[in-house]
Amino acid sequence: MDADTAARLAAGIGMGLATLGPGIGIGYLTGRTSEAIARQPEASGDIRTAFIIGMALTEALALYAFVIAIILLFVA
Amino acid sequence: MLLAEEGSSKIVEALHELNVQTIVSIPKVGPFDFSISNAVIYMWASAVIVFAFFFIVSRRLRKQPDGLQIVAEILLNFATGHLTGQIGEKGKKYYYLILTIFSYILVTNLIGLIPKPEFLRPYTPTTNINVTFGMAMVVFCVTQFQGISRHGVGGYMKTWLTPPGVPKALAAPLNGIFFVVHFMGEFFKPLSLSVRLFGNTIAGHLIILVMLGLLLEYASAVVIIPAALFVVIMTAFEVFVAFIQAYIFSLLSVVYIESAIYAGH
Repeated sequence: MDADTAARLAAGIGMGLATLGPGIGIGYLTGRTSEAIARQPEASGDIRTAFIIGMALTEALALYAFVIAIILLFVA
Repeated sequence: MLLAEEGSSKIVEALHELNVQTIVSIPKVGPFDFSISNAVIYMWASAVIVFAFFFIVSRRLRKQPDGLQIVAEILLNFATGHLTGQIGEKGKKYYYLILTIFSYILVTNLIGLIPKPEFLRPYTPTTNINVTFGMAMVVFCVTQFQGISRHGVGGYMKTWLTPPGVPKALAAPLNGIFFVVHFMGEFFKPLSLSVRLFGNTIAGHLIILVMLGLLLEYASAVVIIPAALFVVIMTAFEVFVAFIQAYIFSLLSVVYIESAIYAGH
């Protein structure tokens, strides 16, 4: 396996693995958010803001891997 | 991106939209390239749109607001209330910055989603990491300036050390660890801000372009019908993402500035 093939393989496998953690995280976050809104609908505004901040921070992890994959594919 | 040489399939051809094309080339000054590319032109265009929108609205304010004024008032209320409102009195003046960032990112994202003919050299400025990192650096500078001007250099550094209440014997060795972690954290904030916006926009555009390339490459009903449906759905989702990303970028900027103002609390 030459370096180019290895880089492509690493990009694909890495991207797939990197979606696992944030996927679980966002799922958990969404579940807890809807639970909280169901329990206290009048606080839904604050809860939604906290949800979006948390979602952005979680999602960034997958995006780091995405950037690494792009670097592996096109730059390295 | 370096997509040019690899093969000549239609999929690769479709991805050429992500390339920066130089339109007016200006000789390099040292390491800096000042030539005007399509990215620069679309950035100027969106800046002009944002400026013209608020300028025109501010010239024709009325007691009974019409459509444009209602949109501008909603944006302004959103920036002063929901976004910078959480900082409190000290952060009131930051709504200029936050409103500008929000509307600029929104307009650049939406400009990129409008399908354009070839001669307009379509490009989305936010799919370029330099653009997003530039905006994140502005937020970073404002944050550090806030922290230093409110607490002084020494006072600001002190908020990076061990929080009060830790026993003296433990505090001394922990100080070093806390300082390094906080110091690195400050530099990862602009990095994560820029990568988040860049990654979200480029991922959406890549998926749409790959699907369009599939349409051109395999001209059969088995591919065309699902791919075309997927493109329509993804484009609608990208409009949603454009709003969400503009909101997240400005919200996190507010959170970072707030954390510098109230550092140590």
